[in-house]
Amino acid sequence: MNEIQYIAERLWAGHLGNAFVVLSFVSSLLAFISYYLSANNASFQKLARLAFNVHGLSVIGIIATLFYMLLNHYFEYQYVWQHSNSTMDMKYILSCFWEGQEGSFLLWTFWNVVLGMILKRQLKNGDWEIPVMTVFSLVQVFLASMLLGVYFFDYKIGTNPFLLLRDHAEFSNLPFLQKEGFVPIKLDGRGLNPLLMNYWMTIHPPTLFLGFASTLVPFAFAIGALWNKKYNDWQKIALPWTYFCIMILGIGILMGGAWAYEALSFGGFWAWDPVENSSLVPWLVIVAAGHTMIINKNKGGSLFTTHFLAIGSFLLVLYSTFLTRSGVLGNASVHAFTDLGMTGQLVLYVLTFIFITVALLINDKLFKVSYIVVSLLLLFFGMLYGYKKVLLMVWLGSSGIITFISYYLYFPKEKDEEELFSREFWMFLGSLVFLLSGLIITYFTSIPVINKLFNTEFAPPKVHVYNTWMMPFAILIMLLIAASQFLKYKKTNPKKFLKRVSYSFILALLFGLACSIPLYFMTSPENKGIDNWDLISYSILFITGLFAVFANLDYFIIVLKGKVSKSGAAIAHIGFAMVLIGALISTSKKVTLAKNTEDKKLTSLGKDFDDRESILLTQGDTLPMGPYLVTYKGKKRIGINIYFTVDYFKLNKDNKPEYDFSLEPHIQENPKTGQQSAEPDTKHYLDRDIYTHITAADLNIDTTTKKKDAFTSAKNYVGHVGDTIFSSNALVIIDSLRSNLSREQYEKNDSVLEVTAVLRCVNTQGKNFFAHPKFIIQNNVVIPKEDVLEDLGLKFVFWKINPDDGTVEITMSEKLANNKDFIVMKAFVFPFINVLWLGCLIMAFGTGIAIVERIRKFKVQL
Amino acid sequence: MKKLHIVGIVIIAVAIGVIFVSLKNTSTYADFTEAISNPEKEYHVVGKLDKTQPQIYDPKLNADQFMFTLIDNKGVSKQVVLHKSKPQDFEKSEQIVLIGKIQGNEFHANDILMKCPSKYNDGKPQID
Repeated sequence: MNEIQYIAERLWAGHLGNAFVVLSFVSSLLAFISYYLSANNASFQKLARLAFNVHGLSVIGIIATLFYMLLNHYFEYQYVWQHSNSTMDMKYILSCFWEGQEGSFLLWTFWNVVLGMILKRQLKNGDWEIPVMTVFSLVQVFLASMLLGVYFFDYKIGTNPFLLLRDHAEFSNLPFLQKEGFVPIKLDGRGLNPLLMNYWMTIHPPTLFLGFASTLVPFAFAIGALWNKKYNDWQKIALPWTYFCIMILGIGILMGGAWAYEALSFGGFWAWDPVENSSLVPWLVIVAAGHTMIINKNKGGSLFTTHFLAIGSFLLVLYSTFLTRSGVLGNASVHAFTDLGMTGQLVLYVLTFIFITVALLINDKLFKVSYIVVSLLLLFFGMLYGYKKVLLMVWLGSSGIITFISYYLYFPKEKDEEELFSREFWMFLGSLVFLLSGLIITYFTSIPVINKLFNTEFAPPKVHVYNTWMMPFAILIMLLIAASQFLKYKKTNPKKFLKRVSYSFILALLFGLACSIPLYFMTSPENKGIDNWDLISYSILFITGLFAVFANLDYFIIVLKGKVSKSGAAIAHIGFAMVLIGALISTSKKVTLAKNTEDKKLTSLGKDFDDRESILLTQGDTLPMGPYLVTYKGKKRIGINIYFTVDYFKLNKDNKPEYDFSLEPHIQENPKTGQQSAEPDTKHYLDRDIYTHITAADLNIDTTTKKKDAFTSAKNYVGHVGDTIFSSNALVIIDSLRSNLSREQYEKNDSVLEVTAVLRCVNTQGKNFFAHPKFIIQNNVVIPKEDVLEDLGLKFVFWKINPDDGTVEITMSEKLANNKDFIVMKAFVFPFINVLWLGCLIMAFGTGIAIVERIRKFKVQL
Repeated sequence: MKKLHIVGIVIIAVAIGVIFVSLKNTSTYADFTEAISNPEKEYHVVGKLDKTQPQIYDPKLNADQFMFTLIDNKGVSKQVVLHKSKPQDFEKSEQIVLIGKIQGNEFHANDILMKCPSKYNDGKPQID
């Protein structure tokens, strides 16, 4: 068989890309091995550094090649074809890059390289370069392998972004791809998912992945510490990095919320979706780790917890990678990646790092060797004979037990007990609260995994389950944030402390009660599912949130004397409290504006079945909606978007509607996939947002106005004076008949008889319109004269009088446009949502100050 | 570290509590037969749209009510009343998950999840 000749395929790009892929894998492996060896033999260190640099360059090479291919539309490549097309706006090219798994792995790898390069410089020739960079290189080995796309016996390792379309398993059998003389220039890509065509999608993924990548820094130090048994040295170097991670990951998560709020129509900024949860949990744990590290730095101790949390945060990032990319979530998530057949590899990745952690914790040679041998035996047994689930559970269980045995046997422990009135005790408690809330969210999110492991059929919990469970944690955290600032390390005078915090507590209590009583107890709740316990918990969270804000403000102004550079923690805590207050108010006081007026409701089904959230708007009609009057004006198509213009009016002093603003929620249609997605439009005010999205609409647009002016075929009606005819938009009453002549006059003369039918048309608003079709007889010939009511789009022809029974016959036809277009829309008010976004900025600012301050202190110490 | 031991015990107690309480109250995936046998409980029913049966959505009557017929994974079909407006892309759905409970002869759902084949990996290369 002759080889098929392909014309104009730009194969060089794929070859170049693949060369970089292989190079990045080999160089990371080399860097890992030589860094590992240089722990005992310094001569390897040079090679290790060189290998890591080569790795960094080859990662940049992969990115540059893929980017070049996307930019120049090399659609013969599967990744380019799948994620972009030739007509798209080039400003979304970055979104194309990381839409797929391969691209987002690349993004992660890239940030790891950047962080690794900076750390390598910072730690050069110090004690920590070798252990930290060994861990970094090992992680890079795993990440680089994710792009290999080779088969190792039956196991597929990685998916390759440089695969040709004709080599792709799904498409290789397409005849034209295998035909002689196939020219890829004629091909067009499938295009980007329209949901991702949003500016948030250009900045959210890189920020989030930088956050994920930076959890590697404390992890690398902690693993290095276990390896070298130097448990106390690394915290001060890693602390600014940990703060950096808290800041970036926090911003990244809230950016995801902002994207969801702006571009997705699930009606809010947070939905406890598994994808959101799995980025939140590592953040909660890294925040906990950051706090135990401060305790350790200022007072010593908390060693095991610090290591546990620093390692745990990174392991949870790995676990979330597994959750969102293995397809295990299945029906549970709206926006997980699809399964690329890498489940096994991802599981192995997570397990390897758990294994390394536990193995390093064991400080006894025999114990350690037997753990390693047994683990490997279990792995091979599982691969060869099955029973993977049972073996996995046995291994995880025993690894957990070994972790705690090693803690008791080998880990340095505190001698004396912490004081009750000491900052470290309550800060430590706060860290545990964060950890526990993270574990609970992980447990809920992992229900699909639990189903797989235990063959159960549990459904993932709903949003309110998360909200209910997280409420006490939020309250506890607010109390801790408020109080612990005023506690000193080691020992505090309880009386002074209580006096100090009582000011802000009393202020928060008074202000909080004054707000929350009218807010929650004097208005009937919007959502019928909310009971008194919920309302009480909202009020408590509101008051404690205020307490946290006031106490930290007090601390910032009185104790720190407003010195910003020292106040990173106080400012960040104010920001965090504001995020929670904003989330609380905007969610619990969310008002549904668009209420269905229909009263037929199945109340017996209970609170979850409140089907009055949407409103039907017919084009041109004006309906009351909350404090507004709304009109659906019409729709227009711009590119792949269909915009629906809705005007909002407010009643002015004279009770007359006055134009306020317009919103244009739209529906996006991906021409390649036929997928439709509703995107909201929001009117932003300082104190509230009015958020709308379309839930149902006719997407066809009649561009020919001619057609709209055309009339339907006429219908004949026979009736007496006083009878009513129904049109689609009005009642038509035959009011009276007027004649220009009496019967006698007509019979005498040969003149013209003109009979006018007076038709009173009452529209849906009760307004009267009059039509006057005429029945004219001239020379015994009937010449009807039609009348058209433009306002109602109705045409009447009066064409017959039946003298026998006194009935008249009138035909009526309606304009096609009378079958008016309609939309079904949802509209909510989110009050004070800006408190949340402002809180986010303040938190990021405070954390930023803390980073700068830590770096300064660290440099002073050197 | 006695105080911290107490804290540790509290944490373990809370964790166990969460697992028990949530497993007791959580809804489970099921078919119509199971949902019929326990009309009080909320279930997640997985199935496919029966395209031979009519779909009724009249927003003029009630914009938040949509009726259709679902065939569950065991092949049992049932009239469904979804208490939401008709989702976009409904006909294209490959698989449907309904969250709700049985009342009378109908399954009343308060939420719907759809798996659309088009969502991420549909569409084949074409030549112009």
